[in-house]
This record gives sequence, C-alpha cells and structure tokens, in this order.
Amino acid sequence: MNSKKNDLKSLELTVGDVFSKNARLKARNVNVFYGENKAIDNVTIDIGNKEVISFIGPSGCGKSTFLRCFNRMNDTIDSCVIQGEISIDDENIYDKKIDVVPLRARIGMVFQKPNPFPKSIYDNVAYGPRIHGLSENKEHLDNIVEESLKRAGLWQEVSDRLSSPGTGLSGGQQQRLCIARAIAVSPEVILMDEPCSALDPIATAKIEELIHELGNEYSIVIVTHSMQQAARVSKRTAYFHLGKLIEVGKTKEIFTRPKHNQTEAYISGKIG
Amino acid sequence: MFSFFLLTGILIISLFFFLLGYNRAKNLINLNQKNLHSLTHYYGIFCSLSALLPTLGVFFIFTICDDLVFAELVKEYIPNEVINSKDYNFTIVLAQINNSVEGLIFGTPPQWITNAAEIWKSWVIKSNILTMIVCAITILTSGFLSYKKIHSEFRSRNAVEKIVMTILAVSSVIAILTTIAIIFSVVFESIRFFALIPYDEFLFGTVWNPQFEGAERAGSGQEGLSQYGAIPLFAGTFLISIIALCVSVPIGLFSAIYLSEYASSKERAFFKPLLEVLAGIPTVVYGFFAALTVAPFLRSSGSMLGLDIASESALAAGLVMGIMIIPFISSLSDDVINAVPQSLRDAGYGLGSTKNETVMKIVLPAALPGVVASIILAVSRAVGETMIVVMAAGLAANLTANPLEAVTTVTSQIVTILVGDQEFESAKTLSAFALALTLIIITLGMNFYALHVVKKYREQYE
Repeated sequence: MNSKKNDLKSLELTVGDVFSKNARLKARNVNVFYGENKAIDNVTIDIGNKEVISFIGPSGCGKSTFLRCFNRMNDTIDSCVIQGEISIDDENIYDKKIDVVPLRARIGMVFQKPNPFPKSIYDNVAYGPRIHGLSENKEHLDNIVEESLKRAGLWQEVSDRLSSPGTGLSGGQQQRLCIARAIAVSPEVILMDEPCSALDPIATAKIEELIHELGNEYSIVIVTHSMQQAARVSKRTAYFHLGKLIEVGKTKEIFTRPKHNQTEAYISGKIG
Repeated sequence: MFSFFLLTGILIISLFFFLLGYNRAKNLINLNQKNLHSLTHYYGIFCSLSALLPTLGVFFIFTICDDLVFAELVKEYIPNEVINSKDYNFTIVLAQINNSVEGLIFGTPPQWITNAAEIWKSWVIKSNILTMIVCAITILTSGFLSYKKIHSEFRSRNAVEKIVMTILAVSSVIAILTTIAIIFSVVFESIRFFALIPYDEFLFGTVWNPQFEGAERAGSGQEGLSQYGAIPLFAGTFLISIIALCVSVPIGLFSAIYLSEYASSKERAFFKPLLEVLAGIPTVVYGFFAALTVAPFLRSSGSMLGLDIASESALAAGLVMGIMIIPFISSLSDDVINAVPQSLRDAGYGLGSTKNETVMKIVLPAALPGVVASIILAVSRAVGETMIVVMAAGLAANLTANPLEAVTTVTSQIVTILVGDQEFESAKTLSAFALALTLIIITLGMNFYALHVVKKYREQYE
C-alpha cells in the first residue's frame, strides 16, 4: 500500500468514489505498458466483496487489459510491463513471493469467446479441481462437477450427456460451461471479459441472469461493450477512456447523472 | 534439334498473335469510343493462348506417334527368313535399326538393316515436314479464328479464365496419371513375378535367398535354390523403423513443444530453421555418417560392455534414420501445436494451470490428431528410406528381433537386386517389383490412414 498522497493524486484524475468499504481487490496507481505504448494510465480502484462491477468504455480504452492485470494474465505477453500495486485481501499479487498459479485459481476468468476444452463436458468442469487436487475421490469430484454445473444453470440441459464433447454445445451453453469450469475451483473473484459479445440475445439474457445470481457469492468484474448490460447486471460501473479511469460510481448514477462530461458524452452516444 | 526450332517458331508466332489481339482491342476502343468488356491485354492473351495450346497438343501427338508408326511400317522391310528364324526378337531388330539410323554401327550390319535405316531416315524427314505443316495450319487457323472472335461484346477476361482453369486441371491430371502409371508399371512386373513364385510363398516365406537362374542351374543341391520369402525383409524394415521412431518421436515432439510453447520468438527464429536443415541433408550423407561414425562407435562401446555388435547393425541404421526424420515430426507437430487456439491456453492459465499442465493436458490432446498424423508420415518416410540402410544395416536377410545384428530391408534389397547386370526374365529381378508393390501398398495405406486421422478429429476445436 502506497501513501495517502498517491491515492489523492489519482483522485484528481478520476471522478466519483473509487474506494470501497469492504474491498477485496485493490488497485493502486496501476500503469501498463505494451512496449513503448502506455495502455493503462495511473488507475486506482477498489473492488468490493460480493460486488458486481462493470468496466465500460470505447474499444481500445484498456478495460480488458486492466481486467487481465487482476489475475496476471498479462504475464504471458512478453512486451507487457505493469507498474503500481494490485492486492487481493491486502496481499500484493505482483509481489515476487506470490505464486501465480494458485492466484489464478482464486481469481477465475471467463473469456470473450467461449473456449471449452476439446474434452467432455465432465472433464471440462473437472479440469480445475483435478489439477489443484480439490477432490478426495471420484464421488467428491462428481459432486463438485454437478454443483458447478447447477450453479452455472447448465445442469438440467447436460446432465444426461456429461461425456459428450463440450465443443458440441451451443454458444450460450459453451459460455455457461466455461463459467461452471471457472467456479468449480471455488474462486473468490470472477473476471469476465465481454462474456456475451459472441452470443445471441437469448443466451445473453441467461448469462446475465446467472451473473446476477453469482453476484451473491462472488466478486464479479465484468468488461462489457453494452451499456444496457452494464446497467442490468452491475451495481457499480467504471468508465475508462484512452487508458484512464474517468469515472466510477453507482451504476444508476453513472447512467442517469454522470459527473464527468466525457462519461456523459459516451453514455449519450457522442463518443465510442 | 528440329523439335527445338519448331517449338521456338510456335512460341514466336503465338507472341505475334498476342500483339495482333492486343492491337485489335486497342483499335476497337478507338473506333467505338467506349471501353471494352475486358482490359486490352486480356484480348492479346486470349488470342495467343488459343493459338498456342492446340498447336502444342498437335505437336506432342505427332512427336510421340511418329516413332510408333515407323516401327509398324518398318516390319515390311525385315526379310522373311529373319522373321521366321528361331531367335527373332522384334525389339532387338528395332534397336539395331535405330542404332543404324543414329550412326551407331557396330561391325558390318546385314544389308537389309542398312536399307531399313535409310528408309527410316527418309520417313523422319517426311514426318518432320508433315509436323511442321500441320502445326503451321493449326496455329494459323486457331489464331485467326480467335482473332476474328474479338469484337466489342466479346468477354475475353472470362475466356482467359476458362483457359487458365483448363491448364491447371490438365497439370493436376498429369500428376495423377503419372502416379497411376508408376503403380501400374510395378503391378505388371509383379504379376510376372507371381506367375513364377506363388504369392503365399512370397508373403509368408521366412527365407529370402534370391539366386540368378544361372546360379540355380549350376548350383549344387539346396545351396543354389532360390527362396523368396519376404518376411525377413519386412521384419528388418519394421525393426529399423521402430528404432528410428524411438529416437525421433520423443526428440521431435519435445523439440516441437519447446519451440512452440517455451522458446521466445528470437530462439524460435534461430532454432527452427536449424532443425529443418536436418531435412535438407542428403540421405547418402546420413548413410556414411551411420556406417563410418555411428556403427564403429556402437561396436567399440558395445565391446566395452561385453556386447557383440555387428559392424553393420540395425541399431546404427535405426538411430541415424531416427535423426533423419526428426525434422518431419518436429516441423509438422510444431505447426499443429501452433494451430491450437490461444484461447484454449488462456483458459488453462486462467484456471491456474502451470505451463507444463497446460501443454500436457490441453494443448497436446487438442493437437494429438495432427501429431499422430506427423508420426505416421514419418513412419512411411522411414519405411521407404533406402540409402541409410544400404550403407549401415547390411544385406544379410536375417529374421531377427535383435537390433545388434545385421538385417536388411525391403528397399535395400530392391537396390541390390536392380543394381548391375540382370536378366529381366528371372524371378530374382522381378522380385524387386513385387517388393516395391508391397511397399507402395503399405506406405499408401499409412498415408491414407494419416489423412483420415487428421480429418476425423479436425473439427474438434473449431
């Protein structure tokens, strides 16, 4: 944790309340570079416990990049450099002592395009518990799989064909399978990177409903292109523009009374 | 020489037709003051191609057919007493006449051969003139007809499209026909072989001991008797291929994984071409590497351990062949591993897998069909490999599973049978074709199977 002075510095940039009373994830003065390119510029934000927060903003504003900082997915990109501090439960995740593998088990991720493994539905969900040794025996593993699929709202549709390939499901089912796969390792936070952008409206509605329910148990960060979606699923909204966090606030307030003129321009469709 | 000049002439005339068509199109534009359907050069190309292609066809038919026709005609000039004599062979007589035509005269040939050669020469001149005239007529009429076709409504761009498509189709047909022709030539010789040796003896016999008929006749007792059991050869091929795979599959696959998953882009750019250089080394070079370096090394290190390793051993040949096929496996596997979508790796990392877990549990299973296909292709490469085994594995047709002994393979037997003087009637020579046929069937089968495997699992992650 840096000094109070640094927090104030970023307050000058961001409008609204970036802090949260019971914060799970804390990002402080985060900068991200792709080579020479600055993709994220001095972003400070808290993500509360069991809170659904959405990141909105025009394409290329860095919202996905910032999301991928929380589970260090950017580590796989060679040219990517991250400055600042991100902590989960006051533990800096960029600390040299932190092992990135269990960290990613604590912070699950759902991707833009449904990406089930070319394995059976059962094996897809069981993958995480297996590699982390979360189950004591076959029965326990069966329970975890069933429970995860139930929570992802997929159990009824697939319970009779758990051994058929996950890639054979429809797009919306695949995405719910990916969510089931993520919650099977019982993460504390789920990051969702535009989870509905490849889906049709009906499948989208199902996923949104699911996010709503999961919000009671997990902290969820969702990046979305659709302002309506942000309005529907999240309690808090953060607006990014050109790598800067412009405004954070209650979703209702952001969409009805934006304080910053750039936010207003985006909400009313003038930019983006 | 004549053919060369005629071809040059045909090409020059078709170029000339290009200019004609091009100019006609230009003039049409000037006359009508509006654009034609296609760009002007398409009219030129259309004109020149439709003059050139039929003429080339005619030219090749004439050049191929004239010798056949002459061979039929020359029969009349062979005296009856020669035809009726006991050891008359038309092929040999024809060769004598041809030699005489080309001025290769050994001793003093009979008068009738010289006469026939003289007549043959006069036919050649006549046929050359005929070819020239027919080609000239063809090129001028077809060129003129296509020239006439050009008017403001004519769609030469589409016509050129059709001509190009025809050329492409003909090329692929030629490639396929050649393959079929090769197979048939092998099949026909094999049929002659199986007329002499029953196929069950060939396929299931366990002793390979081919002898020339002369040796058989002169041979005393059992020693001189030929035996054509192909099992030792196929067993040797199998043994060496297995050794080669034991070397190449782990090394090739692991280096492919390293290159595609772990190496930085700089390392990859450096190592991948280096690895592929291995595929560019001629197999003869591998052969003497095996015979002069690896085999003596194995022999001396074997004697230190108290093992008796033959100076020509399956092990030496297999090891070196394994090195030879590493690039086939690594390069193809690298391609299929790279083709696994990044999103699957992201999903693995996102669930908290280590790099190794992601590779072993997600990437490799997804790439497995491609990897298997690359291994099968490598096997068919190993089975067909000749030089290394000829030089390093020996020629003794031992039926053994011991890699330390000398064995022989199908391909190296084919080479030894067909190198040097042969009687084409003997079962020994013909056996090479039967071996080749069996080998072709095996490798074709494996290639088909590899393609099938790839196709079957291709959609899995798409």
